[in-house]
Amino acid sequence: MNIDPFLAWVESTALSQWVIGSPSMFAFPGILTLHAIGMGFAVGISAAIDLRILGVAPKVPLRELRRFLPILWAGFWLNAVSGVLLLIGYPTKALTNPVFYLKLTLIALAMVLIVRISRQVCATGSGESLSPTDPPISSRLRNLAIASLICWAGAITAGRLLAYTYHRLTQLH
Amino acid sequence: MHDFQIWLVTTIGGRSAIADVMRTAWAWPIAESLHFLGLCLLIGAVGSFDLRLLGVGKRIPIAAMHRFIPWGLLGFAINITTGTLFILTEPDQYIYNPSFHFKLLFMTIGGLNAATFYLTSYRRVFGPDAPLDAPRRAKVIAAISLCAWIGVITGGRLLTFYRPSACQGQQTSLLLTCAP
Repeated sequence: MNIDPFLAWVESTALSQWVIGSPSMFAFPGILTLHAIGMGFAVGISAAIDLRILGVAPKVPLRELRRFLPILWAGFWLNAVSGVLLLIGYPTKALTNPVFYLKLTLIALAMVLIVRISRQVCATGSGESLSPTDPPISSRLRNLAIASLICWAGAITAGRLLAYTYHRLTQLH
Repeated sequence: MHDFQIWLVTTIGGRSAIADVMRTAWAWPIAESLHFLGLCLLIGAVGSFDLRLLGVGKRIPIAAMHRFIPWGLLGFAINITTGTLFILTEPDQYIYNPSFHFKLLFMTIGGLNAATFYLTSYRRVFGPDAPLDAPRRAKVIAAISLCAWIGVITGGRLLTFYRPSACQGQQTSLLLTCAP
């Protein structure tokens, strides 16, 4: 098995060895747990906004759901940081697996979609009035919501499959 | 309690037709993916409703926000179903696992807490002249709900790090944490 010098270097760093080698529950298990919690909030709130666009909870003023966006972003950044730590722990396992790149692509698409959706959502309604009825939702916005749900479902599935599809765990193995 | 756990694992046995299907290459990963999607639906609906009670998006009528809850129940149903499939296939990996015991504990807290909400705060929060700011009691319930479901996720995610090893000698804890 050939050795990739960059991946071998990452795996030799103290941070990488702490992530995967420390017996502390705050190391690998804790980071993995934060990654699941961040996913719950990022994807959950994104899905709630998508479902509202598609007709669920019609009396919720769509524009007001923007108040939940900071929590969505907090979940996203929690997962960006925990994800990078997991990547530093097992760089070879992730970077030699095509499914990992599929997962990243789907997350990137989902985040682009949520930015476009939130821009359109903020542009709807006056915001100052408490009217429960928003202007009718455009088919373009509906399509963005459907695409968002598909991207998140794909990203989660790809992420879960990482545990089953990797070819090589580390440079040593 | 130990006898009950051992009886449960022996009775389930992991030798059913469902267990055979779950042991095929794709069934387990697919069920896991569905379990994660269900988690997101649950947090997206119940977590968002809790956050609304705590004051996020105060212009949204609480009753309107409650219409998301059936989707959270759908997520919960997906996870009960897929979770049951896991237990039917590898019962000892869950019944003897302390992380699973904590997961069940947090699920119970979340369930009783939700029941408390509907018994004590439902009318005040949903009535015709319901205030936009939830009463203090509802906020406490919402905070407990968020903590309970985060606890459930934590218990679930840590399952793999508390897999039971073989018992050595007499087990003295309340719950079995090793496989006899």
